[in-house]
Amino acid sequence: MTAEALRIIILVAQFAFVGILYLLLFAFARSLLRDLRIAERTQEAARHGIGRLTVLESPEDEPPVGRSIALGPINSMGRNVNSTIFVEDDFASATHAMLTFRGRSWFIEDQGSTNGTHVNGHRIDRPVALSYGDEITIGRVRMRLER
Amino acid sequence: MPIAWRGTELRLLLPLLVLVPLGFALTHVVQTGVLDPGPLGLAIAYVAAILAAHLALVLLGHRGDQLLLPLAGTIGGVGLVMLNRLPQSLTGMSIFGADIGMAGTQFAWFVVGLVAMVGIAVFFRDDGALRHYKYTWAAAGAALLAITFLFGAEVNGARLWLHFGPIGFQPGEAIKIVLVVFIAGYLAENRALLAGAHRQIGPVKIPPLPYLLPMLAIFAIVMGIVVISRDLGTALLFYGIFLTMLFVATGRRSYVLVGLLLFLAGAFVAYKLFGHVAIRVDNWINPWADPTDAGYQTVQALYAFGRGGLFGEGLGQGLPLIGGHLPIPAIQTDFIFTAIAEELGLVGAFALLALMAALVFRGLRVAILARDDFSSLLAVGLTTSIGLQTLIIVAGNAKLIPLTGITFPFVSYGGSSLLASFVVLGLLLSISHRSAVDAEHDAGRA
Repeated sequence: MTAEALRIIILVAQFAFVGILYLLLFAFARSLLRDLRIAERTQEAARHGIGRLTVLESPEDEPPVGRSIALGPINSMGRNVNSTIFVEDDFASATHAMLTFRGRSWFIEDQGSTNGTHVNGHRIDRPVALSYGDEITIGRVRMRLER
Repeated sequence: MPIAWRGTELRLLLPLLVLVPLGFALTHVVQTGVLDPGPLGLAIAYVAAILAAHLALVLLGHRGDQLLLPLAGTIGGVGLVMLNRLPQSLTGMSIFGADIGMAGTQFAWFVVGLVAMVGIAVFFRDDGALRHYKYTWAAAGAALLAITFLFGAEVNGARLWLHFGPIGFQPGEAIKIVLVVFIAGYLAENRALLAGAHRQIGPVKIPPLPYLLPMLAIFAIVMGIVVISRDLGTALLFYGIFLTMLFVATGRRSYVLVGLLLFLAGAFVAYKLFGHVAIRVDNWINPWADPTDAGYQTVQALYAFGRGGLFGEGLGQGLPLIGGHLPIPAIQTDFIFTAIAEELGLVGAFALLALMAALVFRGLRVAILARDDFSSLLAVGLTTSIGLQTLIIVAGNAKLIPLTGITFPFVSYGGSSLLASFVVLGLLLSISHRSAVDAEHDAGRA
């Protein structure tokens, strides 16, 4: 083993040491960037909101016709006053339906109501994915999901 | 609850299996001139200890942040390589009569720290004990401070140490964490009042006097530390943490402005009145006025940075002895960053700082994701303590600000500092665990 060869080995090991540090730094940076992108998307969604419900028809006027309700990710609907969307209607159940935003789309699920939940005029019997523009009927209250 | 494998954490920890032993082997080869890796037991034990902490988190079903441990492990690994490269006779403890050297002692503290971290991360699931007894904690911190003033041992003119038999302990590190807990509790409770109320004086909005009082109290404590225990670094750190948390809680620039003005006024008065402050500042402005005595440390550090250059002198090849001694006093604690900058160069020093920045980024992410104000402010304060401490000591090393004796978290030699850093990490893990569990709960309900 010449002194020259040893010197080269040391130099290579030296750069390998710092190299691994940078490799790790790169891996960390990638994870951090992924976070930033998720944060950006969430912020975007928060700015525009994830969706609204506009009331089209409401015989008891609670919620009033024409009102546009901003939605959170999880919305309970029914005659129970603690519901996110309080529906005052004799044909609605206390806990009538659940409207949720999961991943990238909206879902509605009937919570065992007496008169059922209707989407675009059809009664649903399991969780249904919604598109913007779909009409939901709870009792006699008709609402439209909008962006 | 299903097991979380923490795959990201494991993936990011594996490179340490090469990094730390490589650093040890490289040091041995350079120091002996023979192509033989030498003893790698300590390096492997270090990585094994961190992997064991990872495994414990997996087995105990922890769902906290997966980047914190690998980041701290990498930063600590570079520090251990550097401590192993320095002469082992500098300092260190012996356990049961066997001298384990400086790096060995640091490793022992790493194990203690990791155990504390896992313990806090896993069993500390309810922050009520911190939140509700904040005044008790503050009183305990103040008592600890007072005990240190009265009974502490004096080292280099600063009274910072308490001794329990053979083990020395720096209460400042514990007080730092207690202070963050107290400020987080106080601000979480009074946040709306502090952010809302103000009085208009000219163009500046000034908060009314009752809300200024806690700020003045903290200011008084900090000045007390400067005057009585003469610990400038800790004083600067405490004050910086306080101002940062106040700003985050209220979003009011006027608090920061008033705080900084108070700080400048206090610093000026301290400079005029106290010799030990004046010496630091004069050394900072011109260390070449007395390069062999008062300015020696700073001047030698600047030479070391210069020798290091872009790629460094090489591990084990820098730090030429001057009169049989290492060129910079306190190189294993206050000046460890200078040693790394000399031997690994700008590229190595930058990598270390970038890793630290990533750790701070991650800590702030924990704060953002936290579900309640107290946890969020706690995470901000703890993260700031690590980040600001790094800034203060690195800037002091590089003569950007006056030098103050303070440690580089996870890197500097020292048990109290290392243990405190791991307690911070454990608390951050525990906060992020709680937000992750809550988020899963929400998703499950949906």
